[in-house]
Amino acid sequence: MTPASLEDVFLVAAGLFVVLAIAMFYRAVVGPTTQDRLLAVNVLGTNTVVILALLAAGLDQRWFLDVALIYALLNFLMSVAISKFTVERGGVL
Amino acid sequence: MAVERLLVPLSDTVTVRQTVGYAVQSGLERADSLECHLVVALPYDDAVPESARQREDADDLLSRARNWVEEDAGDADVTIETATLGADEYLFGPRDYAEIFDDYAAAQGIDRVVLDPEYQPGVTARILQPLERELDRIGLAYDEAPVERSTRRGRLTGSEDFDRLFATFMVSYGFYLVLGDPTYWFDLVTGAAVAGIVAVSLARVTFSVPLDRVQSPIRVVRFALYIPYLLWEIVKANIAVSAVILRPSMPIEPTLTQVDSRVRSGLPLTALANSITLTPGTLTVRATDQRLLVHTLIPAAREDLFDGGLEKAIRFVFYGRESAAIPSPRERDDAEIVGGDEL
Amino acid sequence: MIEPTPLQVTLETVRFWAIVVLLGLGVFFTLVSTVGVLRLPDIYARAHTASQTDTLGAGFALAGVALAFGWQHAAVYTVLLLFFVFITNPTAAHAIARSAAETGVEPVLAEEGETDESAADTEGETR
Repeated sequence: MTPASLEDVFLVAAGLFVVLAIAMFYRAVVGPTTQDRLLAVNVLGTNTVVILALLAAGLDQRWFLDVALIYALLNFLMSVAISKFTVERGGVL
Repeated sequence: MAVERLLVPLSDTVTVRQTVGYAVQSGLERADSLECHLVVALPYDDAVPESARQREDADDLLSRARNWVEEDAGDADVTIETATLGADEYLFGPRDYAEIFDDYAAAQGIDRVVLDPEYQPGVTARILQPLERELDRIGLAYDEAPVERSTRRGRLTGSEDFDRLFATFMVSYGFYLVLGDPTYWFDLVTGAAVAGIVAVSLARVTFSVPLDRVQSPIRVVRFALYIPYLLWEIVKANIAVSAVILRPSMPIEPTLTQVDSRVRSGLPLTALANSITLTPGTLTVRATDQRLLVHTLIPAAREDLFDGGLEKAIRFVFYGRESAAIPSPRERDDAEIVGGDEL
Repeated sequence: MIEPTPLQVTLETVRFWAIVVLLGLGVFFTLVSTVGVLRLPDIYARAHTASQTDTLGAGFALAGVALAFGWQHAAVYTVLLLFFVFITNPTAAHAIARSAAETGVEPVLAEEGETDESAADTEGETR
């Protein structure tokens, strides 16, 4: 027996992830170092990927997964690029 | 007249015979009597399981090379010395080889090093160019033996290129079809075109080390076996770290540690450093050659790191079951806690 | 429509609760990670706990999604997504930690650390 529909479970989980992402924003805003902000943004990116996947299941929109995949790759590139940038200013890649 | 002292590093290659021949001939041209030092550098130290077999191979090679020198020398005044170097340390890269040759040269008064163009100690690819660069830096005179390359070499490179192209093509085509629809003709055709472009342009970048037709697929299978182990380690570490973070007193004990890992640079080292970072509680801050600077959050994670479970697993993936049974970093004294000044 | 057999009903229930448990674990580990990033004292320590989101937080949540999609193409997608997260995030975490080390952010260390802090500072500034 199932007290709630599966879609609702996914939407509730996605909501919880959004709340946690908002909490993570505190670190992204406060810092204090660039790397702290970068780390927080990186975790936010992973959260976004998970939220997208949860929405894909909750709203039954398969193509959200494509967006999530691209987002994961962009998130990785961004973290590496900014890390490199903070070390060798201007000399990215 | 003066004695010419030559150092000839040997490894089991197709051109080693010619190298020895050149060494004897060129040495006798420069001086009346020749002292020929034949050495084999052992890549691993005695702590590693394959060292016994490696030592036998080295002795075998040395006795063969001794016969060659005697053959070539004829009646000339040639003294032969043989030695195995590096039995008490782990040789990691060209720099280490250059340094032990330099130590030996200084101790024996060597005039010149004769290098085999195909010189290939251990399992890594040929290291001639970086080795020459290091010898230049140290200031040890060397000479590359002019050997006739056998025709086998050209064909070998061709098949290596084919392997790389094929592997890159299959991986990218497979990836394309997973994202697309493997039963739809349009995806099959465009996928083949895209994978072809990727293979031609990126094969050399993707596989910088030549593939081995037997070993590489075996490594992929072993890697698949490694994933569940890694997941289990991650779950354990996650629970330990969560318990620490959620406790109100938060009893963390951050330390910086330095671990000399016994895996070679490139893919094995990347895999090890990434696995260490992926496990919560340990974070690779820096990797210079095989020396990893690892930040650990809690004592339990540090103990796990010093026990070297992940390192053994990575050795299993890349070198096989026998090689996995090495002493832990703690036992071989390669792990220590360092202060912040090591950053 | 064909009536579902009792076995199918039980399987559906098991699957439902499995998904709930997986998502719950995912949320839990992400929560721990968020708390850690907010509480821990320095960038290096925070990087440890950030990898919890990347591993088990995302891992359990995506496993739940894959289970919901069942045996079809989208589930393969989800596994692929997880694989990417696993490959790329340690690299990103390492890049961030290394950039912190190279710009001279000094770590907060237990015991041995205090005496070396000035050394770490000067070392960092020369870079």
